[in-house]
Amino acid sequence: MTATATPTPSPAPPPSTPTTAATAGRAATKPGARDWAAIRLVMRKDLTAVRRSKAIVLPMILVPTVLLVLLPVALGLFARSAPTDQVANALSSPLVKSLVKPILDLPEREQIIVLVLGYLLSPLLLVIPLMVSAVLAADAFAGEKERRTLESLLYMPISDRDLFLAKVLGAFVPALAITWVGAFVYALLTNLIGWPVMHRIFVPFTQWLLVMGWVAPAVAMLSLGLLVIVSSRARTTQEANQLGGAVILPLIFLIAGQASALMLAPPLAVIVVGFIVWGLALLLLMINGRRFTRDRLATSS
Amino acid sequence: MDAAIDTLDLSRSFASGPALDGLTIEVQPGEVLALLGPNGAGKTTTVRLLNGVLTPDRGSARVLGFDVATEGDAVRRHTGVLTENAGLDDRLTTRENLIFSARVRGFSPDASTRLVNDLLERFGLAERADDLTQGFSTGQRKRVALARALLHDPDVLFLDEPTSGLDPAGTRDVIELIQSLAGEGRTIVLATHFLGEAGRLADRMAVLHRGRLRAFGRPDDLAAELWSGIGAEIDLGGPAGSDVLTTVAGVPGVTEVESGPTGAVLRIADRDVLPTVVAALVGRGETVYEVASRAPSLEDVYFAIEARFLAEHGGAEVTDGFMRDRVSA
Repeated sequence: MTATATPTPSPAPPPSTPTTAATAGRAATKPGARDWAAIRLVMRKDLTAVRRSKAIVLPMILVPTVLLVLLPVALGLFARSAPTDQVANALSSPLVKSLVKPILDLPEREQIIVLVLGYLLSPLLLVIPLMVSAVLAADAFAGEKERRTLESLLYMPISDRDLFLAKVLGAFVPALAITWVGAFVYALLTNLIGWPVMHRIFVPFTQWLLVMGWVAPAVAMLSLGLLVIVSSRARTTQEANQLGGAVILPLIFLIAGQASALMLAPPLAVIVVGFIVWGLALLLLMINGRRFTRDRLATSS
Repeated sequence: MDAAIDTLDLSRSFASGPALDGLTIEVQPGEVLALLGPNGAGKTTTVRLLNGVLTPDRGSARVLGFDVATEGDAVRRHTGVLTENAGLDDRLTTRENLIFSARVRGFSPDASTRLVNDLLERFGLAERADDLTQGFSTGQRKRVALARALLHDPDVLFLDEPTSGLDPAGTRDVIELIQSLAGEGRTIVLATHFLGEAGRLADRMAVLHRGRLRAFGRPDDLAAELWSGIGAEIDLGGPAGSDVLTTVAGVPGVTEVESGPTGAVLRIADRDVLPTVVAALVGRGETVYEVASRAPSLEDVYFAIEARFLAEHGGAEVTDGFMRDRVSA
């Protein structure tokens, strides 16, 4: 190391002019205004780091692959060759009949394909935003503490709110991207598998699109809201994942149990459910956002 | 001239008790201030408060005219901080860590690249620019972190334990670098419990203990408050005997005298006393090899302040590992 190491960016303003622009190139943002450039930079940095972590990338690849590729292929192939009379019997009770009318209206050979691939497995897509956002949020919040990188971030000229937004969006955007890519792959596969029987594209349908486009983002945000609370109390990613698991698992069971009904419900009901989940998610995020201060982060790290 | 740092009754408590209690100091532009104290004295809390990372419970602070409690972002645009832990993202390369900081601080992509290339070269990191920082030694990590703290040419630089974990060569490199930065007129706050580096670098010292400011000022001024006169050492080729000590003590102007490894260590009213002391010793047949007046080091001052504090508090408190650190200072 030389003893003359001094970089020469643009000169700093004198102390007597505290309201001038930053020492560096970009001027300070107006109070209350979002610094989207800084938000994007933090998101990109987190994403680059996450991409290099096998412990994070592996579950994000494996779980969607099992849920959205292996499971539909295996069950789809089975459903294609399953005897149709058993399906008709299973769906003939009065309660089920009213629920699954859209399926019963189909020709008998198509019923099991649509039932399995369109209604029973599709809801598993909602597990993806839950899981991915939880994993990324644990890394973004508790992981920073664990790696002891949080403090250096706190000394950067980014407002508390921008930092919070960057962390939340840094988990939300990839979770949503993976969900939507997964949904596209799932739709492609189900139509390919179902084609010999269906001879038409049967996924997506209105409710499926609403669930993926409206409910899935809300679910990702809800999961994030919960994980941010958990991560703020956890000191390590492992602790956050364990605590998060206790919070997220019941949600997964709830979603896996109820989402099939959502696919069969009228579109308006799906929209209303989406509003409720969004409401809960945004409420959690607002609470978290208020609690997300440098002071709290510094004292908890 | 406006102070670069100005605090008034700055205080902060945690659940465990007060971490900083009523800090009032003023640091002039271009000055190097050593924040001294054992672990848990409140040094890191002070650095965090002065960068708007922590909010004060009481009191106020301004850095470069910005209120740290309400203008934290503005403060952080003008300050650079080297944290005790380098805080590098190990999943990013050296270059990526630096580029990220440069971009967040507002440099354009092109300017960031140029600036970072320059820094990598100057800090001797060019060869490892595209390596993940995961396997870096403590010294290499400190260098990257120091480059990051300096990349926006901050007006005020906070260095929190800059040499902790470094080997002697790394320590020397960092100290030389800080000396060169101080020479440029940059305001530097050096939080450390290594007295050696503080003694070489600081213009003034603020001694903290359990969150309270115990002393603040130039080492010379503080020494003058602690001791009257100046120190001196006489080399007699071996420890002074009691008869020698009695002779020296009898010279007018000598206020203290004790035996040292190579002769006598004394405190005198002023330099003019020394010839009389030498004459007295030569007169009784002693061989005097060397005589030197000795200004108290920062270390002497610190330990005298600690001793005074312990005496005032009945010696109940121990210096929390500070004595051990003295060996490595």
